Amino acid sequence: MSNIIEIKNITKEFKVLNRREGLKGSLKDLFSRDYKIVRAVDNISMNITQGEIVGYLGPNGAGKSTTIKMMTGILEPTSGEILVDGCIPYKNRTRNAQNIGVVFGQRTQLWWALPLVESFKILKDIYGVTDKDYKDMLELYQSLVDIEPLLHKPVRQMSLGQRTLSDILAAFLHNPKIVFLDEPTIGLDVSMKAKIRTLIHALNKEKNTTVILTTHDMGDVDALCRRIVIIDKGKMLYDNDIEHLKGFFGYYRTLKIRVSGSLSETAEKIAAEFPEFSVSANDEWISVLVDEAKSTVMDVLSQLQKTYKIRDMQLEEISTEEVIKKIYEEGVK
Amino acid sequence: MNIKRCFTLTRAGIIESLQFRLSTLVVVAGNLLYLVVIYHLWQAIFASVDTDVVNGMTFSDTLIYLVLATALFNFMEMYVVWEIGRRVQSGEIALDLLKPMKYRSFLFWSYSGTAVTQFFFTFLPTFIVVTIVTNGAIPLGWNLLYFVISVVFAVSINYSIDFITGTICLYTESIWGINMMKPVIVLLLSGATIPIAFFPEPFKTIVQYLPFQSIYNAPLSVLLDGNPEPAKLLTTLGIQLFWCVLMNIVSRVFWKISLRQITVNGG
Repeated sequence: MSNIIEIKNITKEFKVLNRREGLKGSLKDLFSRDYKIVRAVDNISMNITQGEIVGYLGPNGAGKSTTIKMMTGILEPTSGEILVDGCIPYKNRTRNAQNIGVVFGQRTQLWWALPLVESFKILKDIYGVTDKDYKDMLELYQSLVDIEPLLHKPVRQMSLGQRTLSDILAAFLHNPKIVFLDEPTIGLDVSMKAKIRTLIHALNKEKNTTVILTTHDMGDVDALCRRIVIIDKGKMLYDNDIEHLKGFFGYYRTLKIRVSGSLSETAEKIAAEFPEFSVSANDEWISVLVDEAKSTVMDVLSQLQKTYKIRDMQLEEISTEEVIKKIYEEGVK
Repeated sequence: MNIKRCFTLTRAGIIESLQFRLSTLVVVAGNLLYLVVIYHLWQAIFASVDTDVVNGMTFSDTLIYLVLATALFNFMEMYVVWEIGRRVQSGEIALDLLKPMKYRSFLFWSYSGTAVTQFFFTFLPTFIVVTIVTNGAIPLGWNLLYFVISVVFAVSINYSIDFITGTICLYTESIWGINMMKPVIVLLLSGATIPIAFFPEPFKTIVQYLPFQSIYNAPLSVLLDGNPEPAKLLTTLGIQLFWCVLMNIVSRVFWKISLRQITVNGG
């Protein structure tokens, strides 16, 4: 498998004017030469192979979009190297554009006033897609989602979900090698999210398109990505399989039990009994966060059963969401 | 192949502008209002002097000139500066830059459709009405062909100037001031607000050496001159061609340099 994207030690710095407060400050700013350098992306390297779906995660302002803009050729890195399909994006922007498709969640590249099919036709001509490929692509789309009713609807009359769906279809239309999806499911309802995930997954399978996905919705990540990359404050925190991520902080599982009597009192007793685990209680459940490196959930459960009459129990795996939250909050040790 | 790209954008622009048929009506209504104003204004100016001819132009010459200048403005003004400014501010420019086309031509062809529609819906009707009403004041002959050539140059020069002004938005990241200033300067210096014949002397000469007069003054004088001397005609078109090429190069180079300045918001 060859690398479609190669990134070596890229850094991007922005020069930002130091703004002062108030009217007087604003007036002074007019003549100010007082810039500070903000490092949005700091020494990131990665290789991505053809056909991968990579989840590119990080809290707001982590530098995700900046990295994507460098990969698409809109921004030039301050230092480091990027190769996308063998060429340097910012030097060959128009050539690179032929190879990539982009969806920015909150914006649309479609022609606002025109029916969707007109936008498709324009894109077909702009990207020089042959009639046959275009027809095949539309057939594929039709087999995946019911686009017929959307095709003749002006984009401005579409709901956000329909528009996002259309934008994703538009990004794949010229069968690019790489598609960048920047928060594609932002603001969508549950069923639309599911539909879009299925669509992305199917298009990736069908055309072996590399997909780079940034999102804040861990559902997207769980449904689509095998590999995830996490950055924060411009620095790379994690780059590996999603399975490894769960073991990143030790294998935690949450054991939830319900007993007769007061839950909070029992919870205190359990906490005294297992000082190494964190125990909490709400109206319904007592939760014990078990670190499987120390003892297994089954051991804890049988231990508890000796003292308490357990009426009900649940076992929860720690979710990707919680792991990511932990990484965002604590960083990597 | 490349031509196909361009025309598909023109076509889209035509369809798009036809969606907003009401706006065409509003433009025509606005024009009529403007014309009433300038009619009375210039009537007052001519009434204040004793002669019928001021600076070599009669009242009806002046009026025909100004009416056609307005009509020309309607179809040449593509509001490119607005568009670039808006796209820079909203960050939408990022998506345009990801089209496999040069931004300059992408934008031009995207808006060419509107120009085509405006040509048929505002310029042509105005021209026909003026021709009929003035009953032969506009000569109809070879000058129409020269006029068309001249307009093609004018559109190109106008677009280059717009594009240069729009590029400035990358630096200022604000659009209001520039947008207010640009049409006023261009319309004044190009002779669309006041015929250049009326300009006072040193000013008149300076204006002759600027690119702006090639946008409105040149095509209109070509159109209104029914029997041009070949030398004069060639000079006018030659100067236009010169500006056309020069402004084209300047706008391209300026854009190329400026593009590096782009800092699309968002981290």
